[in-house]
Amino acid sequence: MAGQSSGSEELAVNESEVLKGHEGAVLAVRFNRDGNYCLSCGKDRTLRLWNPHRGIHIKTYKSHGREVRDVHVTTDNSKLVSCGGDRQVFYWDVTSGRVIRKFRGHDSEVNSVKFNEYNAVVVSAGYDRSVRAFDCRSQSTEPIQIIDTFQDSVMSVYLTKTEIIAGSVDGTVRTFDIRMGRELVDQLGHPVNCISLSNDANCVLASCLDSTLRLLDRSTGELLQEYKGHKCKSYKMDCCLTNTDAHVVSGSEDGFIYFWDLVDASIVSSFRAHSSVVTSVSYHPKDVCMLTSSVDGTIKVWRK
Amino acid sequence: MHQFGPDPWICGLVWAGPYSTQKSETRFVRPNLSCTHTRYPYPKPVSSGRTINKSFPVVSSLPCRLQPCFDFPLFAPVASPLYCISPPLSMADVDEEDYVYFGTPIEREEEISSRKRKAIAEPGTLRSLPPWKQEVTDEEGRRRFHGAFTGGYSAGYYNTVGSKEGWTPQTFTSSRKNRTEVKKQNVYNFLDEDDLKDIGGNTLETSMQYDTFGFTAAEFARKKAEEEQKKRPSAIPGPAPDEIVLPASSSIGMRLLMKMGWRQGHSIKDSNAESLSEIRREARKAFMALSGNKAEPDLSEKDADGTDVFPDMSIDALRNSENTPVYVLNPKQDMYGLGYDPFKHAPEFRDSKRLRESKSREKNRSKVHMGSLLSSNSKKYAPGFGIGALEELDVEDEDIYASGFDYEQTEVELEPSKAVSSSSGDRMLRLEHKKQGSLLGFKLASDSDYKLERFYPPAIPSNFRPIHKFAAPLDQTLKNYNSAPPPDAQPPEDPNLRLLIEGSAAMVARCGKSIEDLYMEKSKTNPLFLFLKSGAEGHDYYVRKLWENKQKFVDNMKPAEKLTAENRGRILGERPLASTTSGVNDVSVKAREVINTESSHGDTFTKPISLADLPDSAIKQFKHDPAKQERFEQFLKEKYQGGLRASGTISRTITSTMSEADRARERLDFEAAAEAIEKGKRTIQISAPSTDHTKDLLGFGEDRFVSSTFIENSETKMEETKVVYPRREQFEWRPSPILCKRFDLIDPYMGKPPPVPRPRSKMDSLIFLPEIFKSSNKEDAKSPVGNSLEASKSGLKEVEAEPSASEADVAPTSPKNVERPVDLYKAIFSDDSDDEEADAGPSLNQEPNPVKSSEGANKTLNRLVAGDFLESLGKELGLEVPPDSRPGPSLNATISLPEEHKSFKGGDDRDNMSLTKVKEKESKDYGSTLDSSREKKRSHSKHHRRRSRTPDSDPDSGSDSDSHRQHRSRSKKRRDRRDRSRSQDSESNDEAYTNRKERRKKHRSRHREHKKKDYGEKNSDKKRRS
Repeated sequence: MAGQSSGSEELAVNESEVLKGHEGAVLAVRFNRDGNYCLSCGKDRTLRLWNPHRGIHIKTYKSHGREVRDVHVTTDNSKLVSCGGDRQVFYWDVTSGRVIRKFRGHDSEVNSVKFNEYNAVVVSAGYDRSVRAFDCRSQSTEPIQIIDTFQDSVMSVYLTKTEIIAGSVDGTVRTFDIRMGRELVDQLGHPVNCISLSNDANCVLASCLDSTLRLLDRSTGELLQEYKGHKCKSYKMDCCLTNTDAHVVSGSEDGFIYFWDLVDASIVSSFRAHSSVVTSVSYHPKDVCMLTSSVDGTIKVWRK
Repeated sequence: MHQFGPDPWICGLVWAGPYSTQKSETRFVRPNLSCTHTRYPYPKPVSSGRTINKSFPVVSSLPCRLQPCFDFPLFAPVASPLYCISPPLSMADVDEEDYVYFGTPIEREEEISSRKRKAIAEPGTLRSLPPWKQEVTDEEGRRRFHGAFTGGYSAGYYNTVGSKEGWTPQTFTSSRKNRTEVKKQNVYNFLDEDDLKDIGGNTLETSMQYDTFGFTAAEFARKKAEEEQKKRPSAIPGPAPDEIVLPASSSIGMRLLMKMGWRQGHSIKDSNAESLSEIRREARKAFMALSGNKAEPDLSEKDADGTDVFPDMSIDALRNSENTPVYVLNPKQDMYGLGYDPFKHAPEFRDSKRLRESKSREKNRSKVHMGSLLSSNSKKYAPGFGIGALEELDVEDEDIYASGFDYEQTEVELEPSKAVSSSSGDRMLRLEHKKQGSLLGFKLASDSDYKLERFYPPAIPSNFRPIHKFAAPLDQTLKNYNSAPPPDAQPPEDPNLRLLIEGSAAMVARCGKSIEDLYMEKSKTNPLFLFLKSGAEGHDYYVRKLWENKQKFVDNMKPAEKLTAENRGRILGERPLASTTSGVNDVSVKAREVINTESSHGDTFTKPISLADLPDSAIKQFKHDPAKQERFEQFLKEKYQGGLRASGTISRTITSTMSEADRARERLDFEAAAEAIEKGKRTIQISAPSTDHTKDLLGFGEDRFVSSTFIENSETKMEETKVVYPRREQFEWRPSPILCKRFDLIDPYMGKPPPVPRPRSKMDSLIFLPEIFKSSNKEDAKSPVGNSLEASKSGLKEVEAEPSASEADVAPTSPKNVERPVDLYKAIFSDDSDDEEADAGPSLNQEPNPVKSSEGANKTLNRLVAGDFLESLGKELGLEVPPDSRPGPSLNATISLPEEHKSFKGGDDRDNMSLTKVKEKESKDYGSTLDSSREKKRSHSKHHRRRSRTPDSDPDSGSDSDSHRQHRSRSKKRRDRRDRSRSQDSESNDEAYTNRKERRKKHRSRHREHKKKDYGEKNSDKKRRS
């Protein structure tokens, strides 16, 4: 897996571990907050906790009735939240591996789920064109807020301290500013598959289904850059920025991983990582380390 | 028997009554018969109706049918009455034995016990008792209560309807809450169960006779059969199945139909049509057999099976639909739930499934089929795990990540040739099977003389073109004139002749040869037209002129005549229609054209564009794929040269190797590319659309994300030059308080009224406005309006434009449906000690016309609400709102109000004032420390100012009174005065009325007396006369 460009030294382009265990496609893989562990979920209806650096499978969480599409972990690593085909958001206890609560409310599959800064609210985005917020602190399983201004399936949701950002297939990235009480709609004109925030939280990277990544300035909604070359047309795929925000990473439907330079949008590196669609990419928050997951059932750990 | 009435004759009467067939009656009538006999000859009962009525009013209430029955025997011989009543008698004969006993009958135990219970008395002993102690029992020993219609001797208390205590009518209920209901009575209310049992035969019952379809009959027969089955021991143990036991029963209608040749399951129609269709089907079969090449989809099989799948299927289906549906037991072969139809929404797959099933049954699958069957049957679920027993298979369970290889495999299966090859084998087998079973005892001949001769369709020569070419153009004649201009000729000297020649030439040129012929004919008689003949004087000139004129005419006519739809379209830049360009002027084609135009109006309009001036790079978009590039160029040519569209022959031939779906996709691609070129021509920045689009699609099948926007993309992308993405919009959004709390943020909408739904249109905003308004009334007049205003200031896009302008517009008209708070009502209608109240209240109450007053009240309310709202709005905006700045129309209304409406005006003011008071009480941010009296004063003075302006206010209030007390006393006085005068008025009125009445009465009575007198006089006159 040789990098093609000079910038490859800073990029995680060398395969260091392969995490095998999922039966069937792995749909998402995520680092935890400090990057020491990772969580994966997949078509086999399980969540798996790994130590990616040592390549160890730690725990399996089974309770989902259908495929699991997204998982997120609290900052203190004590709770998990996951969602998927069974229209519920599962709130897990990490150590016991039990489901604490199942948040219901979504009418359809749930595509994405996130904790907020204080781990008190779970925000989920679903195929039912809504974003719903659930309160972890109350016993209620009903949503405390429903945002249903979307016109189409909401693919991805992201939270900052004060905002809920969600990308939808209706071609919009919507920012719900809780502090200001307003909704900012950035129309991209193309279905948004995934959104990701830069580490300085100034930019939002939106992966669109026209095989283009678009980088938007969050304050103005201005289009900063477009990244092309990969293939993203029909699958839910992830994109992210590297730990230094210098590069943009995305998988491709042909099993490739692409690295672009953030500023001039040139492909810095691209290599075949998996035999099939790369469903998810996750970059270590601090180190040069990347996780990729694929339909082929493997999770790969990449380093420099 | 036990009991006789006071008059035995009456017994006879009762007996003859309509309800007298009962045994018990016969019992005690029977011994009495002799009496009746003796009595009948008596002439007295002839007019007996009356006597009966007198003595037994109960009987008199019987229907009059009693009389004729009774009358009859009167004129008959002695024996005839007996005859008349003989039918019941004959029945009674059986019971007669009961009364002539020899020895003691052995009675059953339960009978004894039941009788014991009732202490049955012997008839003799009973008879000895006083009548009120005689107790009648029925055959089961229960005390029998005689219905009013069947004797009634022991009915009630001493044959009365009363009791020992007296008679109390039951229907009378005196209660305010329990109003007496109208009780419906019918005969049945007066019948006891015995009576009912008697008349049971007369009740309505269903008859089997008209049970056309035999449902009930069948049911009934089955039940009967079941009963029988139960009774007799059957050879087959256990309950016999319904199908076996069910006896055939058919209704009359059915039998008639059957005799006329109808069979169950067929529709009732003329057999002619049936035979016609039969013939047609046969012909079709024959045709299929003739042209039975392998490529033909195997539809004929289905035809043989009885289900028609052919073009005229619609006709057949229509006919079939007329039939009464025959219930066919469909054996359950699948593993779905009962009634679940997996192909409910996709019937097109049902056939393919059937095909597959038949294939698997015959077990002649090829290897390819095996694979395809597996892949398509079980959709290839994601590997490694199954699905729970309680979950249904769903879309998401199928492996969407499967590689493209499987996709191709399924494609293979759907290919027609394969399907046919398999089904042809299927057909053979089935046919064989059918033939073997066709005639019992017969074997198929191995070789037969009869051989079906097959004619293959004629081979079309390769150079054949299915378009007819005319040998010469239609407008050849015109061209002839074009081709050879005759030599110029001198006009003749005679100006008249010249004019004539010119005129006729013009005429001929315009109207054609026929006119010339006409002239020719004329020329025979008229020498004037000699010039028409060749060689005559002026002929050359005529020819020349004719040519000139024709030329002119053609030149003139060409554009006018040729301004057909297509020409116009070309001028306007429309995309030519396929059918018009084909140049066929057939009527049917034109009709089709009409339909086409209607359906394809959407995409007919494009900009006229020529291929020539396109940059080369634009056209060469598919360089990497020369075949595709060729097709694309072809497409462009067709598109801009007005040829046939993609459905045309050329593109068909080129793309024949592609599947229909691919072709369609490619067409879309081309379309997009062409549009891009068009756009690019303007903006000089051509970006080719993703060239590997179709390749991708081929590789991975359909898009997983089906969204409307994605489909639109091809268009929106092209419009990017116009609509710039990304585009940012802002809306108001309300986080729920709990969300804010959990995010550790301050709710931006804390303490603010509930959210205004985001208006989608101007209409919506108008609709929602009263809500704001309502809240302004309810809570505090200021904040919500201010809010919305603030919001509008802060630049919230949609809310922005409306509130200030439209609220003002809407408010005066809308408040009718606004819920008014209670305080407002209180302020209006409570007994406030305010002087205004004193002034206005009573006058309101004393309003002579209540309708008008309520109307007025409504008006004032509306006005008041609107006014108040405007005022608060004005305050909010920091404007000085003069107190009497009300909307014009309402002011006008008050002005134009007549005298009695003035009170409303007063009420209005009072309302306004009290409302301000309420406001003051409630609004906190208003924070006015004004003392209430001062406030009152202010509003009061306001009121007076306003009042003084109304032109026809009465002078009393018009003269500005300063002190409240004075005003109040004055107004009180005025009120009193008014009251008094009114009451006096009414009194006097009443008096006058009564006086008048009396007078009228007197007058009338006098008049009557007069009349009487007259009458009496007349009478006396008559008497005298007589």
